[in-house]
Amino acid sequence: MRFKSTTGLAAIVTVAALALTGCGSSSGNGGGSASSDGKVDGAGKTLSVLVNVSSQYPEQQKQWQSDIAAKFKTETGADVKFETFASANDELTRIQTSVVSGQGPDVYSLGTTFTPTAFSTKAFVTLTDDDWKKVGGKDRFNPAALGISGPDKDHQVGIPFVSRPFVMAYNKDLLAAAGIDKPATTWDELAAQAKKMTKGDTYGLATGYKDSFDPWKFIWAMSVQAGNPLVDGSKLKMDDPAVKKAYETYFGWLTNDKIVDPASVGWSNSNAVAAFASGKAGYLMMTTATSIPTLDKSAIAGKYAYTLMPTVAPGETQSKSDGDAASILSGDNLVVADYSKQQDLAFAYIKLITSKDEQLNYQKTFGDLPANAEALASLTDPKLKPMADAAAKSKATPFTGAWGDIQLALLNVTVQSVPDLAAGKVDESALDQRIKDAQNKGQASLDRASKG
Amino acid sequence: MSTDASHEVRPVADSATGRAPGTIHEAGGQPGHKGGPRRKGLSERNRPLWMLIPGGVLMVIIIVLPLLLGIYMSVLNLDQYTLRKWVSAPFIGVENFVEAVTGSPLLHAVWLSVSYSLLAMVVTLPLGIAAAVATQNAFKGRAVIRSIFLIPYVLPSFVVATVWRTMLRPGGIVDGALGSVGIHTGLWLNGPQTFWTLVLVQIWASWPFIYLLALSGLQSVDHEVHEASALDGALWWNKLRYVVFPYLKGPLALAFLIGMLHHINNFTLPFVLFGVPAPADVEVLPILTYVTSFQSFRFGLSAAMAFVSLVLVAIPLFVYLRAVKLDDAETPGAKK
Repeated sequence: MRFKSTTGLAAIVTVAALALTGCGSSSGNGGGSASSDGKVDGAGKTLSVLVNVSSQYPEQQKQWQSDIAAKFKTETGADVKFETFASANDELTRIQTSVVSGQGPDVYSLGTTFTPTAFSTKAFVTLTDDDWKKVGGKDRFNPAALGISGPDKDHQVGIPFVSRPFVMAYNKDLLAAAGIDKPATTWDELAAQAKKMTKGDTYGLATGYKDSFDPWKFIWAMSVQAGNPLVDGSKLKMDDPAVKKAYETYFGWLTNDKIVDPASVGWSNSNAVAAFASGKAGYLMMTTATSIPTLDKSAIAGKYAYTLMPTVAPGETQSKSDGDAASILSGDNLVVADYSKQQDLAFAYIKLITSKDEQLNYQKTFGDLPANAEALASLTDPKLKPMADAAAKSKATPFTGAWGDIQLALLNVTVQSVPDLAAGKVDESALDQRIKDAQNKGQASLDRASKG
Repeated sequence: MSTDASHEVRPVADSATGRAPGTIHEAGGQPGHKGGPRRKGLSERNRPLWMLIPGGVLMVIIIVLPLLLGIYMSVLNLDQYTLRKWVSAPFIGVENFVEAVTGSPLLHAVWLSVSYSLLAMVVTLPLGIAAAVATQNAFKGRAVIRSIFLIPYVLPSFVVATVWRTMLRPGGIVDGALGSVGIHTGLWLNGPQTFWTLVLVQIWASWPFIYLLALSGLQSVDHEVHEASALDGALWWNKLRYVVFPYLKGPLALAFLIGMLHHINNFTLPFVLFGVPAPADVEVLPILTYVTSFQSFRFGLSAAMAFVSLVLVAIPLFVYLRAVKLDDAETPGAKK
């Protein structure tokens, strides 16, 4: 009996192990090889693509995917299988398992700020000149969109797919009623204008202090505009006065200027959109083209417009950054897994979806701006003009594997300050301490990045 | 009671031996044993240990291997830069452990986890028992009440947390309701009060579990016991205290144990309620480990954190298990 059970156990373990390795070895079935005319023959092959699920346009996304799959089939003979992830965490998990196991999707769609982290895992193809040709040439893309594809021009993993630059929206009626003839271009001016519009339950600005992303974007923008891009080589410069000034300005809207709804300490970005949509706010900060559908269906349809966010740091009279930093460089990049056995096929797919026509088609359906330079230039909708401007004036966040930690540290300062914010006063020494903690954490992460 | 339990086991054992007589014969080599008295069917040799194999294999694959892997990871400098070839990530010995204990909020997180779990437990115990006692005797509408009591328990943690988060928002329903009677509480989802928010929501979500186990304990009180105590003229409190509660000892000890472990391991509730980065007052163990792993990509460090917390939780758990002798839990009221 004892002997039996041991052999039985061994047998089961073996079977299980075989089954596990069976799963492991099923991938990798030759790559679509490029023939002399540059066409990729992918007959009988399936390309696997991981994209984020569009919660706003689920039906359209399915339609778009099947259309693209059909076009890709005609062009290369290969099928495309789309897999989706619902959240950034989902995506991370997928990437981590793929990186460790060396199998998974061939093409990933990544948010721009995540590209440095992806790059640092060395699990994605660094494009050679030849590779760039296969996706239609580097010059087909909006040069600004390439800003976060890699640490330098020769080491790029990310192929820009769409841009989603951040802008602000303003309520034309409220501005006019307060006697403001054009929207602010500096943060100081913005606060002054917002003050004029704040009356009763109407506030000058709408923004969410509890959003998971917005707070660090404000701090980053104001700091860059003051001439401090946060990361200088292997040094983190969060202890710079510009950063503290940025936090004070950002918190000050609530505590000193009183130009935002006190309830916004508990708001995320979507709450701010809702407040603006109800006509109770002059400006909606840090928004993208994705707010168009909501606003067009709201009480203020036709009464709002978009414009660039201020590009002059608080307390300054002109931008100290090299080139205006109107927005973080935001959007999606495509990366090809280096374990993929069908990289040529992957490049052919990317070439298809970054072509001018497909990019314009995508813009029409989903609102995201093209990364394709020609397509971007051909946009005529006046509403999109400021977005296209912002796309061209976007500035990339520092390209380091430590960025994730730095971003988290920046955000954490706000998270821990929210109780003070709600109480109406952020204590200076407490703020100093929080910034110092963030500096230490971020610096430690940068140190590891420079070793890594 | 104890004889009942062995009755239950025996048919299973019998059917097992019945199904595979050949195996017994070959391996055991004890002819004539089968025809022996029933009592001997449970001898050491013929215990159907092979039945442990399916569960055992799963345990090995799902728990033991990952655990060993986790321990191995905890001595590696495993992060986003070395993840690709993780097996050959640099070996750094105890450095991760040193950093976890001295350079990270781990101990604070352990303290938060344990104290919040204990508080939630201490409150839910009497709540659950009281609810169980109240619904023990039949009355009109008891079935409805019992079903309502179970609602928090059957709702997924995610739903519970989302609903509470919405209610506790600044300017939300809770603030509105309290404000209308003149109570202004401040923030629920940020700052020092978050700890109490977590305790509160945990209590709401988990007291029915205690209630369920207490109820099962009450059901096991024999009818004769009630009669006997009635004949002796015991008043309700005395009856509860000296007759009924001893029966609850086993189930409640189990409930306490499972509840504590569940609270300490609860990730969904704080994650959905507060998000990450979490306010410092609710940076409990699972949140800290998660952030270290999946936001900062310090897989090695977080494995060390997880291991340290495993040990920290295991020590009192072990002592506690020895003290309550959980094996005897199915014989409530045996020790009097």
